Amino acid sequence: MQQREEKQLEASVESLISRVAHVKNALHSFIYKLENEYERLTWPSVLDNFALLSGQLNTINKLLKNEKTPSFRNQVIIPLLLSPDRDEDLAKLTEQRVPVFSHEIVPDYLRTKPDPEVEEQEKQLSAEAARIGPEVAQKQIQTLNKLCSNLLEKLNNPREDRDAESATMRQNKSSFNPADTNALVGAVAFGKGLSKCRPPGPVAPGHPGQGPMMSGGPTLQQVTIGGGSGQQAGMGGPVAPQQQGQPGKMPSSIKTNIKSASGSMHPYNR
Amino acid sequence: MMEYLLQGSVLDQALESLLHRLRGLCDNMEPETFTDHELVYLLKGQQGNPFILRARRSLSHPKAPWHLRYLGQPEVGDKSRHALVRNCVDVAASHSLPDFLNEMGFRMDHEFVANGHIFRKGAMKIVVSKLSRILVPGNTENTERLSLSYLVELSVLAPAGQDTVSEDMRSFAEQLKPLVHLEKIDPSKQRH
Repeated sequence: MQQREEKQLEASVESLISRVAHVKNALHSFIYKLENEYERLTWPSVLDNFALLSGQLNTINKLLKNEKTPSFRNQVIIPLLLSPDRDEDLAKLTEQRVPVFSHEIVPDYLRTKPDPEVEEQEKQLSAEAARIGPEVAQKQIQTLNKLCSNLLEKLNNPREDRDAESATMRQNKSSFNPADTNALVGAVAFGKGLSKCRPPGPVAPGHPGQGPMMSGGPTLQQVTIGGGSGQQAGMGGPVAPQQQGQPGKMPSSIKTNIKSASGSMHPYNR
Repeated sequence: MMEYLLQGSVLDQALESLLHRLRGLCDNMEPETFTDHELVYLLKGQQGNPFILRARRSLSHPKAPWHLRYLGQPEVGDKSRHALVRNCVDVAASHSLPDFLNEMGFRMDHEFVANGHIFRKGAMKIVVSKLSRILVPGNTENTERLSLSYLVELSVLAPAGQDTVSEDMRSFAEQLKPLVHLEKIDPSKQRH
């Protein structure tokens, strides 16, 4: 009987040691990554590391709960010899982390009770739990369970449900205005709304000087332009609408001039 | 060289999310902002459409050379092509460009100030810009915004006949939905 228990104890301790070694390695590589490669680190890979650690802790828990594992609480570890001298074997076993098995390290490494602060907190929590009474506690447990199951349902449900709601929400805050698109494209392509002499607004003809002007200018302009597209005798043919004031001085002569100039090659014709 | 172009706009309140998305999708470079002053010059011919040249200078780098660009009419090819294609000629010019164009007979038709951000992904260039009207000709300090949206343009310069370019542009534009719908907008349809 006792031999079997001893064998079980040994086997379980060994498997525990190997699992803990895995956790140690995972932590080691994670810390290394955090310290040395933090510029390249992405959140998903950090999450992966945490997931790995959590999985390993889970296996340790399962191992401890395993029925084949004898209860470790029944075992007691008593240090038989404490010495302040350096122990080479111990140092090698623990990779130089515990070089001396002395009075300082024993309270930390062989501790079975939790830290005093932790003990205090646990006492407070259990006092609080005892204070609120069993019915209130039950109700709190039920609320927590309900919240968790709601959340799980929402997360596990197919995407269509979620998309339907979010689509209707998004319609209200659309991020672009097609009218604005057209206005901007018009402005860039041919100066809609940008021509200098027009009042600010999209009521600008694309090519001033071509065809009748639509702005509320004086009638003199229309007389001038009606005779041709910006061909003004002796005025060097510029197209910009700044010319509108000047031809007002000689409306009649322009008309006649244009009649004759249309047939000939005018030097300022552009 | 042909320029393949897709345009869209985004409202001011959605600008931040668009910039975040572009910073993630595009090549990893420091976000570049620019402030440019563009002048559009027209040369009236005897008949037909006037000849248009666009002169652009950077207000944030005043010593940089001017940039002169000619854009042709959009190619009316098959309707299935996803981007607007037009002929494009770009040259750099010295600071005497406006005087030179005036002497040649061009007259400035309109000008505006554009400032915003520029991103690149491979050969694609994405420009998010805010257009402002210049109230007093020649004074670029005194400007007024044209609208409450930013113009978003996706363009590629490539030799003619490469239709794979417009496919790539379309798939990139898909990734920007629903924040902004980039589509080919025919400027001649906008005119009236």
